Amino acid sequence: MPRLKVGELTFHVQQAGSGPDVVLIHGVTGDLSIWYLCRAMESLATRFRVTAFDLRGHGYTDVPKSAYTSADMAGDVLTLMDKVDAPSAHLVGHSFGGVVAMHAAVLAPDRIDSLILSDPYFPALRHLEQLSRWGHWQNFRQEAEDAGVTLSAEFWYDLGKFFDQVVHLDAEKMLKFRHAVGLPTMNRLMRLGKTTCGDDVKEEAGLTTEKIHAVHVPTLALYGEFSPFLATADYLSEHLSDCRSELVPLAQHRAPEENPVAFLAAVERFLVEVTTRSLAESSR
Amino acid sequence: MNNSPGESDILAQLAIILSDFGGREFSGEIGPDTMFFGDLGLASIDAIVLGETLEAHYARPLPFAGLMAELGTRAERDLSLGELAAYVNNHW
Repeated sequence: MPRLKVGELTFHVQQAGSGPDVVLIHGVTGDLSIWYLCRAMESLATRFRVTAFDLRGHGYTDVPKSAYTSADMAGDVLTLMDKVDAPSAHLVGHSFGGVVAMHAAVLAPDRIDSLILSDPYFPALRHLEQLSRWGHWQNFRQEAEDAGVTLSAEFWYDLGKFFDQVVHLDAEKMLKFRHAVGLPTMNRLMRLGKTTCGDDVKEEAGLTTEKIHAVHVPTLALYGEFSPFLATADYLSEHLSDCRSELVPLAQHRAPEENPVAFLAAVERFLVEVTTRSLAESSR
Repeated sequence: MNNSPGESDILAQLAIILSDFGGREFSGEIGPDTMFFGDLGLASIDAIVLGETLEAHYARPLPFAGLMAELGTRAERDLSLGELAAYVNNHW
């Protein structure tokens, strides 16, 4: 099932396994290959029906000019679940994929069995985070500088400003940037830079603090040990009624890539725990 | 019994598919030593779509999830087309 029409757009979708439904949601500028590279697709498929897809504007999915908020993408997730006959599903979202997963739980709480949030920060909770205080910020900024792009400590969250810089690099700087990030990444950024994605993903889009607090599905806040967003992890476990946090050793923001073994182990532990709990409750 | 078409047929098929694969910049000859990412400028998502295309061509499921997971553990995330052809042949 590689291509599925979801609303007006055609989505690239991959599915494997059988059992309770799990939907995997990658982050902005990524694609569904992250779930193959960290072995989630192969491993989770032994117990679950796993559906991974490329978000709108990403990978092999269509690229609309606009409508990239978490509300738009959560709508895609719910429509995709309809298309694959999944009345409900466990959602695993990385980075902005976690925001999308949370938003889907707000829009359709009865359809979301659990949430695994891998290192998201939420636009409504942006005030909690200050990237300039993050221990790896200087290295991160230097890497971008070396590629010819300036990151601002004040506007760290503003992907729109970042995309704008990339799209408007002169020929010489573009070549330098391409050498630094590689052709596929540059192509991805150029494609997204021509859409409203960068501006849309920084909007709350209805995912307010009140709505976040009201999420009651079992939730795992899974953050890298050295994540820039640990304040968000603490906030979620304090404010959500059924949320615990767990750290992936040695990882920063990209635990599925930086420590895939520990990341996957935490995901599987949580999913088994939640599905076992759910079976026990339904047999009472 | 393994009734695979053989590594050389699979490699030839890969070359045909990759001769018209979206976004590819490589202009040299495609052979067993051609590196998927380094030479062809493709990304891991392209490898997944290439896998689908091969499955459709041979009308059989091929275990690309395992290959991608193995690729994720490599320091240099790249593989040669020869390796890819051998993998398909060995998992026929």
